[in-house]
Amino acid sequence: MVDETEELEPLFDYSRVQPKIICLDDDDDDDDVVCVVTKKRKKNSQSQHVENGNEKKTNVEAVPVTSVVDLEDDDWLPSPPKVTSKKAQKKKTDEEDSTLKNLRLKKRELASFAESAKKLLKSVEDSVEMDNLNLLHTSKDDISEKTSKPYERAKILISVQDKEGTKQIRMFMDDNFERIIKTYAEKMKCDLKQIVLSFDGDKISSSETPASLGMEDDDMIEIHVKSS
Amino acid sequence: MSGIARGRLAEERKSWRKNHPHGFVAKPETLPDGTINLMVWHCTIPGKQGTDWEGGYYPLTMIFSEDYPSKPPKCKFPQAFFHPNVYPSGTVCLSILNEDSGWRPAITVKQILIGIQDLLDQPNPADPAQTEGYHLFIQDAAEYKKRVKHQAKQYPSLV
Repeated sequence: MVDETEELEPLFDYSRVQPKIICLDDDDDDDDVVCVVTKKRKKNSQSQHVENGNEKKTNVEAVPVTSVVDLEDDDWLPSPPKVTSKKAQKKKTDEEDSTLKNLRLKKRELASFAESAKKLLKSVEDSVEMDNLNLLHTSKDDISEKTSKPYERAKILISVQDKEGTKQIRMFMDDNFERIIKTYAEKMKCDLKQIVLSFDGDKISSSETPASLGMEDDDMIEIHVKSS
Repeated sequence: MSGIARGRLAEERKSWRKNHPHGFVAKPETLPDGTINLMVWHCTIPGKQGTDWEGGYYPLTMIFSEDYPSKPPKCKFPQAFFHPNVYPSGTVCLSILNEDSGWRPAITVKQILIGIQDLLDQPNPADPAQTEGYHLFIQDAAEYKKRVKHQAKQYPSLV
């Protein structure tokens, strides 16, 4: 996704940057840099480059002249570019045509690419939205299920009875009894192994849960302390 | 009429699950097919602490009739249970379990079990149900004590 959006950028730069590129002030050495930045610029700079090349070939003296003249007389400035532009213009137009063609092709390519990217994005977004909707639905369902019949992470209030009395303890239906065993081992200051829980006369193994024992709210379990 | 008996037993069971004396067990029997028979309960009575009965967890079966709670349940220890007021068949002889004597429909399962626990340690020589237990209780306290302690070891805790 990130790559695609990055690819898209040149397309927009083009329209913004093009007018600037037309002026020849740009024909510095930053050609390379520019062409890295945008494809548009690359083409223009290429044409500029060609232009310069022609200039140099046809009028090698003219270049220094112009530069010299530049300093003395501003009026001289336009003529050399005209000469070059006459010759170069043809090439330039040719070049420009081909580059334009390429550009257009590229643009179309990019456009289609962008389109497909957009489509992809949209489909992804849609699917995400759908997922969210589904999630919402399912979570709603879960909630309604929870309220109707306590299943997942339902809590239970049980009475835990030792020889001194009874305590009410709230725990999860799917939680095992380890915590209670630990609590009572600490309270009685004895080993974990000495604490035995029983429900309805049956020993509760540490892996069992209120749910697995079919316990109901207010059910009572007993704590037995075995002498080691 | 079975509706009354079962309804009452369901209530008894419900209240037992919520609260009962420590070490006691009382639950309706589960038949092999998984259904619950409210008319027969399997219970456990712990021997009272500080008595010769301590350490024993004595199994008792309560058999309710369709006339319950008008009539008391039949309470049975295992056959040949050693106690002056227990018949050789295991049936407990206790005033509150006698329809013509102390039974009242308001007596709960819990009260019955606690009553029997009391009886273990305090036999009623006026109403003997077996000769061996009765004779030793009156004639040979030492031997009686020995037999009681021995029996306690025969019924260790199941948990």
